[in-house]
Amino acid sequence: MDDFLELTVSAMASGCIYGLMALAYLIVLRPTSIINFAIGEWSATGAFVGVGMLSTLAWPRFEGPYILAIVAVVVVLGLLGWAVERLTVRPLIRRGAAVTSPILALLGVLVIFRESLTLIYGADPLPSPPPFGFKRIEIGAFAGASQQFFIIAVTLSLFALVWLFFERTVWGRAFEAVALNRRAAALMGINLGRVTALAFAGGAAVAGLAGLLMSPMTSAHYMMGLPLAIQGFTALVIGGVGRVEGALLGGLILAFVEQLGARYLPIPSGLTLAFPFALLILFLLLRPTGLIAPREAR
Amino acid sequence: MTTAPLIKVEGLTKRFGGLVAVEDLSFDVESGEILALIGPNGAGKTTTFNLIAGVLVPSAGHIALDGQRIDGMPVHRIAGLGMMRTFQHNMPFAGMSLTANVLIGSHRKLRASVLDILAGRSFVRDEETQARQRAGELIDFVGLNAYRGADVTTLSFGEGRLLEIARALAGSPRVILLDEPAAGLTTAEISRLSAMIRRIAADGVSVLLVEHDMHFLLPLAHRVVVLNFGRKIAEGGSRDIVRDPAVKEAYLGEAAGALREGAPDA
Repeated sequence: MDDFLELTVSAMASGCIYGLMALAYLIVLRPTSIINFAIGEWSATGAFVGVGMLSTLAWPRFEGPYILAIVAVVVVLGLLGWAVERLTVRPLIRRGAAVTSPILALLGVLVIFRESLTLIYGADPLPSPPPFGFKRIEIGAFAGASQQFFIIAVTLSLFALVWLFFERTVWGRAFEAVALNRRAAALMGINLGRVTALAFAGGAAVAGLAGLLMSPMTSAHYMMGLPLAIQGFTALVIGGVGRVEGALLGGLILAFVEQLGARYLPIPSGLTLAFPFALLILFLLLRPTGLIAPREAR
Repeated sequence: MTTAPLIKVEGLTKRFGGLVAVEDLSFDVESGEILALIGPNGAGKTTTFNLIAGVLVPSAGHIALDGQRIDGMPVHRIAGLGMMRTFQHNMPFAGMSLTANVLIGSHRKLRASVLDILAGRSFVRDEETQARQRAGELIDFVGLNAYRGADVTTLSFGEGRLLEIARALAGSPRVILLDEPAAGLTTAEISRLSAMIRRIAADGVSVLLVEHDMHFLLPLAHRVVVLNFGRKIAEGGSRDIVRDPAVKEAYLGEAAGALREGAPDA
C-alpha cells in the first residue's frame, strides 16, 4: 500500500508536467488552430534559463533565489514565444498561407532552438537544483520528494490562474470567441493578430515553466524537450483540445497509466516507453475529441 | 447632435472582376439618425454594409467615421472606433452563455491589457464588474433576461437576433449596422424591435439598416437610400420615397404594392 501511495505522488507530479505541456499546446491551438511542436524545445529552453538564473552559469558570483528563476523563465520565454510568432507565423498568415505552413515553419523553429541550446550551453546535461533540496516529505500517508510536491503545487496554482483568465475575464473570453468564430470576433473589435501573439507568448511561458519544474529530475538537457512534447501531445489528445481542465486530466491519466503499468504489469520496463503512443493511438481511434469535449464551433 | 455627419460615404465603388456591385455611392448619416438602405435583390446593400464595416475594401471612394477615414482599415480597428454590427444570419459564439456572448461585445471598451490582468492591477476587477453589470442591463433591454445563463444554441432565431443586438450595444457603439434585423421574426418580435431601435437612436447612436420588410422599415427610418444595380436612385423620407417614380420602377409588381402598404399615414 505504501508503495502504491508513493507511486501516486510520483504519478501526480509527472501528470502535472504532462498537463502543463498539454496546456502549452492548447493555449496556442485553441485560438489559432496551430499545433506548435516547438514547445518541447521551449520547455528545454525554460530549464536552461532557470538553471542559468539559479547557478553561476549565466552570472559569475550570483545565485538568484528560486522565485527569480520562475519570473525569468516566464518573461524570457514569453518574449521568445511572442518573437517567434512575429517572425514566422504572422508573415505566413499575412500572405494567406494555409494553416499547415506555420506548423511546418514551427518545426524549423524547433531545430533552431535545439541547436542554439547546444551551441550556448553545450551537449552535456546541467544539474538543476530543486528549490527545497532533496528532502523527502510526508503529507499524511503520501510521501515523495519535495520537488514532486512543489511541481503539484505550482501546476495546480497555474491551472487555476489560467482557468480564471479564460472563464472569468473579458479578455479570456475574447480568446474563446476567436476560437469559435474568427469573423464575428474581429467584427466585435478583437484584434486577431494580438490574440495570436499573446497565445504564443502564453504557451511558451507555460512550456518554459514545465521545463524548469522537470529539470531537477532529468537535468537541463538539450534533448529533454522531445519526450515532453510527445507526452504533452498525448495528454492533449486524451483530455480533449477544448478546455483547460482537459489538459490537466489528460496529463494525469497518461502518467497514472504509465507508472502503474510499469510497476504492476508483467512486461519488460523498456516497453513502458510505448504507453504514451499506445494511448495516443487508442484515443485517436476511439475518442478523437478527447474526454472533455470542446465547445461547439460553427 | 453634431452638425458634421457621423458617417460620410463618398463616391464608394466596389467591383468584383467585371461586375460593379456598388457604383459611385454617396450618402451621410447623422448621429442618432436611422438610415435605411433598400433596393431589390442584388442592388448592393449588403456589399455596401461590408464596405462600411471593413470586411471588403472599396475599389474607389472613401468612407469617414467622425471625420476619420476608415476605408482600408482592418475590421477590428473599425469596430474599435465604435462601429458595431449584427449579421443577416445570426453569428453567436456557440457554446458560450448569453452573458458571455454579450461580454465579448464589450471588448473594444476594455482599458486593461493582458499584462494588467497578470499584474493583478486593481482597476481590472472594477472594469470586469462594470462590463458584467452593463451586459446584464443590455440583456434586460432586449428582453432576454430569462435566458441569461443559457447556452446561446438553445435560443430561437428571433431571440438570437436580439442577442446580436445586445452584443453590438455592449461595445457602446457610435454606429450600429443592422443587416436585415426583422428577417425571420414574428410580428410581435418586430414591433418590439422597432421600439428598441428607436430607443437606441434616441441615445444618439446612428442606426444603419438593410431591410426588406417595408412595414417594419418605412415607419421607422428617418431617411431612406434606395439602391438599384449598385447605384443610388433615390434618397429621402419614407413618404417621398414611395412616391418616387424611379423607385416604383425598380420595385415593379408585388414589391411596389408592399412599398405603398408599408408607408406611414400622411
